[in-house]
Amino acid sequence: MIQKKVCMVGVQGTGKTSMVQRFVHSLFSERYLSTVGVKIDRKVISVAGDEVNLLLWDIEGRSQEQEVPTSYIRGAHAVLYVADGTRRTTFEQLPQLRDLVRSTVGDVPSLVALNKADLAEQWALTRGDEAALPDAGLHHVRTSAKTGAGVEDAFHWLAKEVLRADPSRR
Amino acid sequence: MPEPRAPAAQSAPGDLEAGGPVGQLTEVRELLFGAERRQIEELRRRLDTLELSPEELAEQLPRAVTLRTARDRELAAALAPTVERAIGESVRRNPRDLATAIFPVLGPAIRTAIAEAMAGLVQSVNRAVEHSLSPRGLRWRIESWRTGVPFAQVVIRHTLVYRVEQVFLVHAETGLLLAHVPEQSGDDANLVSGMLTAIRDFVSDSFQSRDTGELRTFSAGDVCVLAEPGPQCYLAAVVRGQYARELVAKLQQTLETIHVRWADALGAFAGDTAPFDGTRPLLEECLKTVLADDVRAGRRGIARFAWAIPVALLLLAIGVPLARANQRWQRAVGALEAEPGLVLVRAERDWGRWTFTGLRDPLARDPAAVLAGLGADTARVDGRWEPFVSTEPPLALARARRVLDPPPTVALRLAHDTLVAEGIAPAPWIARAASLGPVLPGVTSVTLAGVSQELPAALEALRRDAEARRVLFAVGSAALDSAARAAIAAFATRYERLRREAEARGFDVALRLAGRSDPTGGEALNRDLSRRRVEAVAVVLARTGIATLAGADALGSSNPLDDGTAADRARLNRSVSFSIEARLNHGGQ
Repeated sequence: MIQKKVCMVGVQGTGKTSMVQRFVHSLFSERYLSTVGVKIDRKVISVAGDEVNLLLWDIEGRSQEQEVPTSYIRGAHAVLYVADGTRRTTFEQLPQLRDLVRSTVGDVPSLVALNKADLAEQWALTRGDEAALPDAGLHHVRTSAKTGAGVEDAFHWLAKEVLRADPSRR
Repeated sequence: MPEPRAPAAQSAPGDLEAGGPVGQLTEVRELLFGAERRQIEELRRRLDTLELSPEELAEQLPRAVTLRTARDRELAAALAPTVERAIGESVRRNPRDLATAIFPVLGPAIRTAIAEAMAGLVQSVNRAVEHSLSPRGLRWRIESWRTGVPFAQVVIRHTLVYRVEQVFLVHAETGLLLAHVPEQSGDDANLVSGMLTAIRDFVSDSFQSRDTGELRTFSAGDVCVLAEPGPQCYLAAVVRGQYARELVAKLQQTLETIHVRWADALGAFAGDTAPFDGTRPLLEECLKTVLADDVRAGRRGIARFAWAIPVALLLLAIGVPLARANQRWQRAVGALEAEPGLVLVRAERDWGRWTFTGLRDPLARDPAAVLAGLGADTARVDGRWEPFVSTEPPLALARARRVLDPPPTVALRLAHDTLVAEGIAPAPWIARAASLGPVLPGVTSVTLAGVSQELPAALEALRRDAEARRVLFAVGSAALDSAARAAIAAFATRYERLRREAEARGFDVALRLAGRSDPTGGEALNRDLSRRRVEAVAVVLARTGIATLAGADALGSSNPLDDGTAADRARLNRSVSFSIEARLNHGGQ
């Protein structure tokens, strides 16, 4: 079976843990996030007949000043960045997070989940913000922890991309 | 409070100037309401900002914390990460302070741990004492004395058991599970391997142990996780019980083997675990339940079959005599069945007692004698044999001998069902054999052609006298000297007389000559010499009228006549001798 390590990063309060909760197989409780700083879940995705076992490292969201521990990011095959669409600051922090990740694992398939898409009236991002993401080499998906919208799409995109980026499958 | 503010607001218009009546009014108002107005402004500012000053917070915080803690756990939850981080930070900065602070807490905890360890030790000692009284204990005591290791430790080493329940082979960088045994232990193994990796990273990061080493073991109760690190992958073994040092060595060895044999696959690993399926047999080798002492394991292996030894001995003790008895029985039955003149109808055995029932020809061997010949205990044999007449050849022949009672000069034999008699017998015996023979059971005809009737005594004496004549020759010669010729003449006289008298009584006589030589010289020459001697005698006999010979044998030095000394024997054999057969002619048969 193909297994891939996917790291999920984002500042505190972006709702990334609750976003994936309904879609993954969990063994560990959320307490691990506050103790060890990471919680690992599993998501099996079928891509063109191939089953891919995504091991999702949900890395504890840190406040602005604190860095994400790079040891958890090591060896990641893909990264899922999560920002809160209703809080601009979480979006503005993405470049900084991305630099940190790239310095550890280089350029791996990366996707930005703009969460809380169900709160349309509180949406704090402009069309320009979202349009700038592809230019920065980031695919993005609007997601909602509340309705579950976009989450499966995000996983599918990641699974497809990690397989495409796999040197052994070319 | 709006009342005092309202006049002030209303008095704002600029028609009131300082120094004028308005200025005076302001002064008066300041005198009358100044203090209140400042208080009002302060209150307004507070209402606008709604923030507490540090001083105010310091006043309120203890009360607020007490109230909130009494209400729910929200405050504790909110503070916990901060407190944890604070402790972490404190440890990083100066571990000594924290150690000093928590010493009063650690002290009792350590004492409890020591008490538990002591309890374990006492248990071990009890076990040691218990084992010291057993044979195994004595052996361990000898081992302790020989190796210098305290006896209690020897006992512990021999009795502790551990079991490796799971083994994970994990990719070091990604934490992805490469292989896991046993297979059926669930799909969550890859999650566990990820968390194991995360925890190892967490420990490394938190305690900056990159230089001092990595997290190798952690335990909960009697379950312990042993992590054996390698450059590209690591092994984690979940062990129940007290693991032995050998297990660590085994894990290291396995990990090294995997690094060597799967070097390429590890280098190119991008998430496909299929190439690592081949590591499973290696991991399974680490998985076995292992007794701390392999010697004991081996012994236990033997002990498992220890019951088989007495059983085998018992089987041998019972089986061998039984097999032997059975063999004896089979041989006895076989011998009785094969014995001529016996027909075995039933053979039974019961607790070592043999009973045979059947038919027995009175001339057959005694069954008891047959069995005794096989070494059977005839005291434990019963036989019920009914008499019958057997026509089997050995019995028929025995019966013929018994009934006909032939003279010693007659030999009897059976050719199929024909009784054949050969030799020389008196006329009455020949007549009896001819009449009785065919009525004997098992005999249908009698052949008496081979039986010569005995000559009457007077003629027999004459025959012996004639046969006693010998014609002697000189060494190497076939020439007849006078003595030789005299001997021939003497024989001829006797033979003629015998022939005449025998013919008168119905007998035919036949003459055979036998020529011989002494043993000196080659056999071919001797045969030639003996032939010439026979011929010479035959020529002389023919002159006397004895022309018919039944045979003339040139024997050379073979088949010599034996008589007296060597010198006599040589002389005697340079000779021709006579033999006369007398046979009753057809008229006599």
